[in-house]
Amino acid sequence: MEFLTQIIDTLHENFFDPKKRVFVGYLFSAILISFLWLCIVKKKTLKECFYKIFDKKIFISKSAKADYLMFIINIIILMFLSPILITQLAIATVVFEFLHSQTLLMPIDANLKYVWLMPYFFTISYFVLDDLTKFITHALMHKIPILWEIHKTHHSARALTPLTIFRTHPLEGIIFVLRSALTQGVVIALFFYIYGNNITFITILGANLLSFWFHLLGSNLRHSHIWINYWNWLEKILISPAQHQIHHSIKKEHHNKNFGVTFAIWDYVFGTLCTSKNNEVSKFGITENEHKYEHNIFYLYISPFVGMYEIISKQISTRFKNTNKKTFIIKQ
Amino acid sequence: MYKSTNISKQFTKITFVGSLACTFMFSSIGFVNADGHGVYGPFPITEKSYNGPKKNSVSYGGQIARQLQHNALKKLASKGNPGDPTNAPEKRMLKYLNTKDKSKTLAILDPSPSSSKFPVKQKMIGELSGGANLSGKADKRIQTSWPGNMSGVDVIKFMIKKAGKTKGGVDTRNGMNYPQLISKYTMGAVLYHQACDNYLDEKMTASSKPNNKPYKKGAYYTGKEHSWDEAFGYWGAAAHTMKLTAAQSYNIAKKKDLKAADYNNDGVVDLKTEMTYAHAYYASSYDKTGKTNYLKNVTKAFIDGRKLITSANGNKLSKVQLDKIQDYVQIICGNWEDVIAESVFKYAGSTYKALGKIEKAIETGSGMDSAMSKYLKYWGELKGFAMALQAGPDNKSDTFNRLNRMMGFGPLMPNLSQVVGIDSSGNYIKDQGSSIGYYKLHMLKIQKLMAKEYALKAKVNDATGGMAALLEQVGTKKSAEND
Repeated sequence: MEFLTQIIDTLHENFFDPKKRVFVGYLFSAILISFLWLCIVKKKTLKECFYKIFDKKIFISKSAKADYLMFIINIIILMFLSPILITQLAIATVVFEFLHSQTLLMPIDANLKYVWLMPYFFTISYFVLDDLTKFITHALMHKIPILWEIHKTHHSARALTPLTIFRTHPLEGIIFVLRSALTQGVVIALFFYIYGNNITFITILGANLLSFWFHLLGSNLRHSHIWINYWNWLEKILISPAQHQIHHSIKKEHHNKNFGVTFAIWDYVFGTLCTSKNNEVSKFGITENEHKYEHNIFYLYISPFVGMYEIISKQISTRFKNTNKKTFIIKQ
Repeated sequence: MYKSTNISKQFTKITFVGSLACTFMFSSIGFVNADGHGVYGPFPITEKSYNGPKKNSVSYGGQIARQLQHNALKKLASKGNPGDPTNAPEKRMLKYLNTKDKSKTLAILDPSPSSSKFPVKQKMIGELSGGANLSGKADKRIQTSWPGNMSGVDVIKFMIKKAGKTKGGVDTRNGMNYPQLISKYTMGAVLYHQACDNYLDEKMTASSKPNNKPYKKGAYYTGKEHSWDEAFGYWGAAAHTMKLTAAQSYNIAKKKDLKAADYNNDGVVDLKTEMTYAHAYYASSYDKTGKTNYLKNVTKAFIDGRKLITSANGNKLSKVQLDKIQDYVQIICGNWEDVIAESVFKYAGSTYKALGKIEKAIETGSGMDSAMSKYLKYWGELKGFAMALQAGPDNKSDTFNRLNRMMGFGPLMPNLSQVVGIDSSGNYIKDQGSSIGYYKLHMLKIQKLMAKEYALKAKVNDATGGMAALLEQVGTKKSAEND
């Protein structure tokens, strides 16, 4: 019973906590933005807008149904895993204690003239650094073969809905939880050490000010079939929903592009940026042809392990072969 | 017919009103009884050998005398004068440490007997007890928290000697704030030690101070009654504490709330029953935060325990009753220990902050005097409470060793020197300590240690509390989701 209550609580938290991406308010704002975009920019009728946004083919597709199921199963799995994962407080405490043993960074006087600016500086800095670590983690998930096997689960989605964010393998979930804990622990400990009690987050409805606006202005449209793009210059600063849809495109030229979450500047700097101009997406997924079991729930959970096993065994056998070759050459 | 119906109606009305009045009256009587239980005393005489005129068996005047002697010591410790060849400040302090004021010559110094805003009933220590002193009751074990392998009373005497010869009682060279050190350590080495390591410990066993015998020959209270009362006196709560809010108890200790203190409405504060002292004061300070209820937890357990002893009516306590008494002792001494640990936690946080100001003063070259004054005061409180904690019945040697090692025998001074011992002449031996950053880290670790070893809830001045709150604000990511 308690177990069931915990699941219901987590579900409730996801939809009713403004700190969460799929908070009903943000979902509603995404729908509103879609309507406005389709009506005003794309000159569609209201009826056309409605059928486009709530496209039955998308929301009850096999792919979307797998997302919904993974959402629930992952809640249960994480319920057991999260208590054993290192917490951000543990990391923050270690960092905070470490800072006392160095002399490069020193606390700043609480009576500074511009102390009132600190919460803004902190809120913005945290948001930017959090976004940077998300970019780095995401890029690594694509570039490192073993991690890609895990991340493939997310990219196997053929239809994008706001709940596709939960089409995530639990191993990837653990990586994200650790990333989040590490970022929060380090950044908060660092700022707290330097600025003491002068720092606080600027929040709206309990959510970080910038996260709130990021979500309110349609972060849920990143995983959707509504193609909303920005001006080309703006897409070099902020990732548009269309740019993230490009990231999910099966086209080869779109692979390993647009790893950013909020800011496109990281992709711009690291040469992975792809703006939406002349870059229409025809299909989402990994391969052109749909795999028979790609939305099968067991396949989604097991295939990353199989993929990782294959990579590791291949590596071992290659090394083994090389060692034998070397021995053979030496013997000769 | 009409008339009789009317009479019957009237009768019904009268019966109804009468019933209501009776219900109210009886419930009021019930309330009065319950109300009486909310105050520590009076309790009837149950000692069977006593035939005198006394009606109330409660007696803890000696303990209140010691509370007042402790208050006086703290006050006098700040009057140290190195230029006085007669050593008058030290002699005065020793009087309050050693004298049993039978002849009523030892004046009460705090609360001031001459105050018109907070008038008190007694003027002399001897009015409360002529047979109590502090020195005879201090912890007799070797105090590892202080250099020199001294017993409790020797530590107090050592501090008094130093305080008497130090201007204002604060030794800025070695970093010792004696008013704080003497006060907080005495609270532990005498008041807490006597209550939890003596009266509520050995004297609550079946064989010691039995309830079917007087505490001493001719006494009007039994062995258990008086042992319990004495422990209550050391706790330092007003008898009517259960009727007060934490803020009122706190303000009574601060001599700011005469109305709340004066329970019998005679216009003066009876220092025996209407005053808040030492440990009860600190408990009230934490309870004011709304996170704890130490003062009432302890006071209620004292009242309930006393009721139980009284209910034995002068007979030996049964095994069941003794077990129940042990339950109350657990509540009392467990909460009491937590109150002291809360203080160690609080002052480790204050010291941490003060060290930050010292760093700033070193960097800017200004504000050192004020920063040092605060730092030494907080460190004195921290050290005093840490020593007090070690005077209890629990020998948590590992925790205490770590605590002592982290804070040291003296505070780390801005020139990074620190007291590490005492030579044969009683002079401090100093050595180079770590950096201020490391010492700050020790303060954090002391807070962490206290939070780990004790069930702390108030956690005042939590140096990393703000960080935990920030992390709470940003929230934990518990779900597996891509961005």
